[in-house]
Amino acid sequence: MEHLELFFKSIFIDNMVFATFLGMCSYLAVSKKVSTAVGLGAAVIFVLAVTVPINWLLDQYILRDGALAWIDGSSNGEGYSGYDLSFLSFILFIATIATMVQLVEIVVEKFSPSLYNSLGIFLPLIAVNCAILGGSLFMQSRDIQTLGLATTYGIGSGIGWFLAILAIAAIREKIRYSNVPAPLRGLGITFIITGLMAIGFMSFGGMLTGGEEEEEETAVAIKTPAQEEINETATTVVSTTNEKEN
Amino acid sequence: MANTDGNGYTIGFATIMVIVVGGILAALATGLKPAIKENERFEKQQNILYAMGVNENGDDTGSVNFIPTDKVEEEFTKYIKETYIIQGGKIAQSDEAFKVDMKKESKLAKSTRKMPLYVGERDGKKFYVIPMYGKGLWDAIWGYVALDDQLVVQGATFDHKGETPGLGANIKERYFMDDFIGESIMNNGKYAGITVAKGNNDPKNLTKDDNEVDAMAGATITGDGVTAMIKSTLKSYIPHIQKLK
Amino acid sequence: MGLLSKKDQKLILDPLSDDNPITIQVLGICSALAITAQLKASIVMAVSVLFVLGIGNVVISLMRNIIPSKIRIIVQLIVVATLVIIVDQVLKAYAYSLSKELSVFVGLIITNCIIMGRFEAFALGNGPYKSFLDGIGNALGYGVILIIVGFFRELLGSGTLLGFKVLGDPIEKTGLYSIGYENNGFMLLSPMALIVVGLIIWVQRSKNPALVEEN
Repeated sequence: MEHLELFFKSIFIDNMVFATFLGMCSYLAVSKKVSTAVGLGAAVIFVLAVTVPINWLLDQYILRDGALAWIDGSSNGEGYSGYDLSFLSFILFIATIATMVQLVEIVVEKFSPSLYNSLGIFLPLIAVNCAILGGSLFMQSRDIQTLGLATTYGIGSGIGWFLAILAIAAIREKIRYSNVPAPLRGLGITFIITGLMAIGFMSFGGMLTGGEEEEEETAVAIKTPAQEEINETATTVVSTTNEKEN
Repeated sequence: MANTDGNGYTIGFATIMVIVVGGILAALATGLKPAIKENERFEKQQNILYAMGVNENGDDTGSVNFIPTDKVEEEFTKYIKETYIIQGGKIAQSDEAFKVDMKKESKLAKSTRKMPLYVGERDGKKFYVIPMYGKGLWDAIWGYVALDDQLVVQGATFDHKGETPGLGANIKERYFMDDFIGESIMNNGKYAGITVAKGNNDPKNLTKDDNEVDAMAGATITGDGVTAMIKSTLKSYIPHIQKLK
Repeated sequence: MGLLSKKDQKLILDPLSDDNPITIQVLGICSALAITAQLKASIVMAVSVLFVLGIGNVVISLMRNIIPSKIRIIVQLIVVATLVIIVDQVLKAYAYSLSKELSVFVGLIITNCIIMGRFEAFALGNGPYKSFLDGIGNALGYGVILIIVGFFRELLGSGTLLGFKVLGDPIEKTGLYSIGYENNGFMLLSPMALIVVGLIIWVQRSKNPALVEEN
């Protein structure tokens, strides 16, 4: 359930292109034809699906404050648990991404030259696609809890990006038959269409909020009796009533 | 020129680069750590004092003017009388309150979380300054809200790690933070928190008893983050403030 | 410009109009959308990119003969990231209030494809001096668009410029607002940045028909 929710949320509500405006450059530059858009989109899904979990592991076991505690089993800032390497996260995330992209390029070239030829030029472009780094940074700042969820998030964001570039490529193929003012043709009208599509996608944002915080509190209250005690004092002193908790 | 395409060269280059870059960054991070930590401590003190009205705003109504860093240490000890830590439903006086790392605590379950509370006094009036930590659109947001005995907000400061400049980042602007002053967190004896509301037809925030402040245009999710942060944090503090007064 | 040869002038002036990084090369769009709701943020971003691109281009150009081609992408990205992090950490230690203003931009600069794009397209094949000029030129061209978009979005969206209420006070109903003018809150949302850039492209290409695309 949790996976499904995160999956759809990352495709539609937090769509990389329309909600966070990441990965715009390659989105605008490589969307002239549906076939090339599909190639690039597939590559983005793959790279996101691989790099987000890898970066999750890096973040969990190396980068975050106290993450090195597993080396000597220490806690509370003694020994290795006292290190906070989060200043290295940008560098390590980028290195992972660039390495993965280059690795994918080498593997594809070796085993499937035909795929490489149709995809080849787009692969290096992915390293500079900010949607990829954005995926890892969001994963870090939103505290995604498990490796499985991180993978789901990576795949979901990738699919969201794929759908976006597919949609704009299809529109651009059709718009050739429309009478667009000459100076707007090509890039100009693409910018404007994307703006309109983004406005449309904003309506998904309404599904985002509501009840998250409350649910979390209820869950905690069931687990720990101490919490109920606090809630009780709160209710008697200020007569707070909360339907969910009582 | 050496052959820059060979595997040996590539690996050698990569190794040297990792060592050089890693060395520079590690040296920089360790060398600058004391100065950065000190700046962060001053900032925290400035924020706590700002929330309880100790600032250099004077007649300026447009911008946020903190106590200057060279005076803040002294002012902090002058105004903040007691510090407490609330943990597991119990409150205890503690000098460690200032050192509590809100980011780390926010990841723990509510029952085991350490929650600091600063009690200050200015012009014979008591202020309860409550630190809070939550999430905006992109990354963390945090702030300090000062309440008086009647649970009415006397001041607030907010800050953020990476909200959109010009939109969500406006939570640290004076006009947004000032809106909170005078709002009660209770409604007819019940806890209500404060909601950052869109289109409440009260852009000047003249109605102070509606538990609402006016939202920032174009920054819905950041505003909702502030609402959620305030609601969930203040709730656990109320019984303890009631006991202290 | 008397100091520069014709060719060098071209390096700086071309990106300002005919080879603009945003409207022609399609680089650095994400940041152009994210931060142009306010004129001030646009200017800060433009100056930061000027700084990073100028220095980054020189560094990459100096290293261009020793970078192994197989890992050049990693090397380029690491050079930018390191530069930005060094500046960020130093500012945090010695100019804390300035670093608070800039910290939001750090991530945006590293992921800004205009920087990678110019490294790859120019600095890898040219000497340090030319690369420096190219960096400055492209950053200026990028900055110009950012500032134009920021100007219109802040003016029409909030009725202010650099925080000053140029159209009167929307709450007190003074100035323009007294005759019924309202701020267009839509301008503050990111999709409008796309549309404004689209309109800039329209104006630019109507003036210079040579830039018009076939399709």
